[in-house]
Amino acid sequence: MLKTVSLAAAIVVAALSPVLANPVQRPHTTVGLVAETASVAPGKPLTLALTMTPQEKWHTYWKNPGDSGMETTVTWDLPPGFSAGDLEYPTPGRLPFGGELVNFGYEGPSTLLVTLTPPADLAPGSTVPITARAAWLVCDDQQCVPEDAELKLTLPVGDGAIDPANRDLFARARAAMPTPVDWPVRFNTLDDRFTLEMPWALPETGIEQVLFYPVEDGLISYTATQDAMVMNGTLRLTTKAGYKPDAATLSGILTVKLAGAPKPDAFFITGERDVELPALLPPGKVITSGGLGDGHGGTAGTGAGGAGADGSAAPGAISLPLALGSALLGGLLLNLMPCVFPILSLKALSLARAGESARGGRQEALAYTGGVLLTMGLLGGLLLALRAGGEAVGWAFHLQDPRMVALLALLMVAIGLNLAGVFEITTRLAGAGQSLASSGGAKGAFWTGALAVLVATPCTAPFMAAALGATLALPPALGMAIYLALGLGMALPFLALGYVAPLRRLLPRPGAWMDTFRRVLAFPMFATALWLFWIVGRQVGLDAMVAGLAVALLMALALWLVGRAQETGRPMRLGWALAALLIGVTGGLAAPRLGSADAAAGENAGTRLASGTLTAEPFSDAALDTLLASGTPTFVYFTADWCVTCKLNERAALERPQVAEAFREAGVAVLVGDWTRRDDTIAAVLRRYGRDGVPLYLFFPKGADRDQPQVLPQILTPPLLIETVA
Amino acid sequence: MKPKTLLSALAVTIAISAPAFAAPKVGAPAPAFTATDINGKTHALSDYKGKTVVLEWHNPECPFVKKHYDSGNMQALQKSATSDGVVWLTINTSAEGKQGHLTPQAAKDLLAAQKAAPSAYLLDTDGKVGRLYEAKTTPHMFVIDPKGTLVYMGAIDDKPTANPDDIKTAKNYVTAALASVKAGQPVADSATKPYGCSVKYN
Repeated sequence: MLKTVSLAAAIVVAALSPVLANPVQRPHTTVGLVAETASVAPGKPLTLALTMTPQEKWHTYWKNPGDSGMETTVTWDLPPGFSAGDLEYPTPGRLPFGGELVNFGYEGPSTLLVTLTPPADLAPGSTVPITARAAWLVCDDQQCVPEDAELKLTLPVGDGAIDPANRDLFARARAAMPTPVDWPVRFNTLDDRFTLEMPWALPETGIEQVLFYPVEDGLISYTATQDAMVMNGTLRLTTKAGYKPDAATLSGILTVKLAGAPKPDAFFITGERDVELPALLPPGKVITSGGLGDGHGGTAGTGAGGAGADGSAAPGAISLPLALGSALLGGLLLNLMPCVFPILSLKALSLARAGESARGGRQEALAYTGGVLLTMGLLGGLLLALRAGGEAVGWAFHLQDPRMVALLALLMVAIGLNLAGVFEITTRLAGAGQSLASSGGAKGAFWTGALAVLVATPCTAPFMAAALGATLALPPALGMAIYLALGLGMALPFLALGYVAPLRRLLPRPGAWMDTFRRVLAFPMFATALWLFWIVGRQVGLDAMVAGLAVALLMALALWLVGRAQETGRPMRLGWALAALLIGVTGGLAAPRLGSADAAAGENAGTRLASGTLTAEPFSDAALDTLLASGTPTFVYFTADWCVTCKLNERAALERPQVAEAFREAGVAVLVGDWTRRDDTIAAVLRRYGRDGVPLYLFFPKGADRDQPQVLPQILTPPLLIETVA
Repeated sequence: MKPKTLLSALAVTIAISAPAFAAPKVGAPAPAFTATDINGKTHALSDYKGKTVVLEWHNPECPFVKKHYDSGNMQALQKSATSDGVVWLTINTSAEGKQGHLTPQAAKDLLAAQKAAPSAYLLDTDGKVGRLYEAKTTPHMFVIDPKGTLVYMGAIDDKPTANPDDIKTAKNYVTAALASVKAGQPVADSATKPYGCSVKYN
């Protein structure tokens, strides 16, 4: 009896299915078809949304599903004269799987959009039946299930007005889509490396992640990490090439995430191959994303180890012997750089001056070499450990943090002041009044070597790119070998002096001239400090650089006081204590400025808005209403510090003088809403205009009311803005 | 540092710097491997020099594999190839506890039930061979010519669906590759995007 009843029930349900045909629930996914408009107007395209909600812990796929998986397809059954466009996918996420594969897709609900174009000759009063047969693959980490469903929707013919009930759904769906852009993107593949390049108007400050998702398969390896760099107005991204990298054109999604952003900005780009494009990144700060982890470079269990998780040969295919050799040579050349030259030459001269015994000379040379190698090994080890831990660091990693750069700059200033004779370093061995580089004996030589490496590091980055780049893709042991070779090269001149007596005899005889020489050598140190402060300025901004210079000034004062205490024979403790106090206080005051890129960005944003070309007032509904009531044409825009698209538009269009001029001529008032902290008031305003996020650009012509703005596209250009307000 | 120590250190580092392992590449020698089959016999790729070899990655529970087995398509391919002297190796890389993992006896039973006819069914539970070939999906097909050169890698055919109806209208890349190798001609579609479930590595 029960069996019959359930059979009957099943038949009834099956018969009723066409009526219950939207949304449809499959074992692992629920899908639905929703129209943006409540009716179909003849000839007026409308948008349909295909909503897909997989079961928890299951996922569906993007157009290019990655290493495995399957895209979603829809076959349409439409009345005559109707045509349907391609499925538009929201920006996918990376779904690493099993330590060996990467897929692209959606771990939660996703909404695909399609544009339907009705014919111009639709009979009014009729209905439009729409049937979509969707097929997709839904998987969890154990298995995959292909599913399909038939979705039916019937719309009346009418005015094609938007259905307010679905406004939020479509706003969210559109916000999840990549913004199509027409940037001139070029790409190339060479020796197993793929490179993408495009103009990029924003600085690299705050960029946490850059990823490229190609639509075409075979161009890139999906498991490899992607390295990005912003330099000279260009964004360049490289990764390992795929199994079929010979396409002439490409398309795909580029995502860029700034610190503080809830999700990355996504752009749909198309590009052409440029065979002249180099496949490597120049030396500089690299942002590493992707790989088999959760977006950081470097992950466990991939076999190749280290941050080069794709196991490819070192970028540029520099061989190990060549890398070692060039590291050695580079170390040798380092001795000529303004960072190191003063220290080396003074050390060498101190050898001559003290009239060392042959054995003493050898001891000092070995101690110096020991100091150099140990410090170099420690720095290299720190770098390798950081990379293994997933940090996206390159050799100049200590130059990425402006606080570190400022500290090094201060060190240079201090050493310069010492060489200039403002104060002296005294040790028990050497007695009073020696410069730091001439502290005697093996112990002094060891510490001089360590110091030499520390002050040399800023100078290594510029010309050691190839050899140091090679270290990043090699196993840690070999990478360390290269760092040590660099150290050895640096210590070689001093080693030679210690072991080769004839060389020592070539050194000039000591004399009064040495004192002058020592003071002259202060200037290369100050020059290096200048260069480092310039880097701070570029990284954080003018104010931070001046803060650093102020600390340097006060430090100079403090050290002068120490020097005075030394000269007049006053207790050393007072001098040093005063110095420590001054440095501590000013350092404490300046540090927050130096560390915060956000502060700089915030300040810059403030100055841009206030004293830049466009004068803008903060947005509020009251301000908007007042302006509209007085008949003033008003331009309203919403932005956030972490929103890449917003910043690009500001740089490329809003801040242009010709735009400000056009706005002034048309008497346009500007209101700007800052959504950096994502407060609810602004979120409500965004929703009011059918948007789910920033940016949003609205123009209220003279006489418009609050609900009738002209909504501008996501990507602004100066001609577009000028035309809008004219 | 003593010159002798320095020199020997350099020598050692040069020796260690073996070339980084390259991914499988069409036109290059197919990666050498050894694996054990369900009868306990060891097979090496080098055993089959002089013969065309097909590698087929398998997972009996994957809907895309079932598409080709339930319809008899894969078995027919295997029979036609092996009767032509081609060596067909079906490889199972599903790790223990993962979907598709088979014990030797279970595999024997399955082959008998499905009337599958590979030359051998290899168990690659630790994933060594899978990683060597960067096998991504099941099925994932590779064709190696008698000289040991990889001439095809990718999908079994050009319809990446789980629908068996698509088999008859699909272009089979493996059949095409085998025909080209037999005729001594270059394979037209030598590298395609494989489709299927992800290989369940350990």
